Amino acid sequence: MILKFLTSTSHIEAVIATAMLTTTSGAKPSTLFNKLKADPERVKGLVGRIETQHGSILEHNRICWLMEASDSEVLEILLSNRFFMITRLGASSWLLSANLRTVSDFARSISGPFSETLIASLRTFAPNIYDGLKRALR
Amino acid sequence: MKVELLSHTPIPELKRGLPRDFSSNELLPHISFTFAIEGISRACSHQLVRHRIASFSQQSQRYVAVKRLVENAVVPESINEKAPELFREFISQASDTYEKLVELDVSKEDARFVLPNATETNLLVTMDSRELMHFLGLRCCYRAQWEIKAMADEILSKIKPLDPQLFEKAGPYCLQWGYCPEGRFACGRMQEVVSQYREIRP
Repeated sequence: MILKFLTSTSHIEAVIATAMLTTTSGAKPSTLFNKLKADPERVKGLVGRIETQHGSILEHNRICWLMEASDSEVLEILLSNRFFMITRLGASSWLLSANLRTVSDFARSISGPFSETLIASLRTFAPNIYDGLKRALR
Repeated sequence: MKVELLSHTPIPELKRGLPRDFSSNELLPHISFTFAIEGISRACSHQLVRHRIASFSQQSQRYVAVKRLVENAVVPESINEKAPELFREFISQASDTYEKLVELDVSKEDARFVLPNATETNLLVTMDSRELMHFLGLRCCYRAQWEIKAMADEILSKIKPLDPQLFEKAGPYCLQWGYCPEGRFACGRMQEVVSQYREIRP
């Protein structure tokens, strides 16, 4: 199975931090987001506490990959977690997308190269989530 | 009410990685949008969260005290016209009771039981485009409740410019499907609705 990162929604960690603060503060979410976007240290601090928060805040994003896989491999993924969205592109090529909660839940329940590749692709656009997941999976 | 698009899937980037003949409809579930929705009533947010294929992070009344209820309550136009004083009196009473309960050391999560549906709230909502098309199909309809319709119209105005071709038919179901699915509840103004939404240019 080959997985290649394609694209993702923007400002993933700032959006997650905004979601965290939206639930527990009286501030307007757009104000929070604009401040957090310009403050990576604060985002790091907030996102670093994520394990104590509800998993639903990890859902405010979507990551897309191109995947080379057989039909049975795709079926196995879908049976493991129904929240992956998979669309056929060709005989053995697929468009795969998911949010961070799905990625995190999958990686925590099933180890192996597929999980590792999923997590590795988070490093560039969600480095703090990536670190947290790596620590949790150790 | 304020609707702000915080984040979305970069559609041109996604399309570049896919075969040219890839169907737009199949692309929809892979495109996600996150909006900040501010200053809507709890009555409106109750309707919004019934769209289940979506993610929500809403301001909590367990953790955040409701302040200045009288100034911030959402007031429907019909009430403003017909009985503004009656409404204001009730909101003021609810606000006083809430504040007294909190002063008496009742927890916010229990004091909120006296808060009205007009109480303002803020939230983040994330939907993929397929669910968003369904949301717009229902909530841009003339039969939708005014507040969520206003929200749906705002959302539509934010997504349409991002890919006018992909979202050409975004709007009420009569525009998407070419017929009205409301049956005997139809507004009877389908042509007017369709023209109005066709005229929205990015």
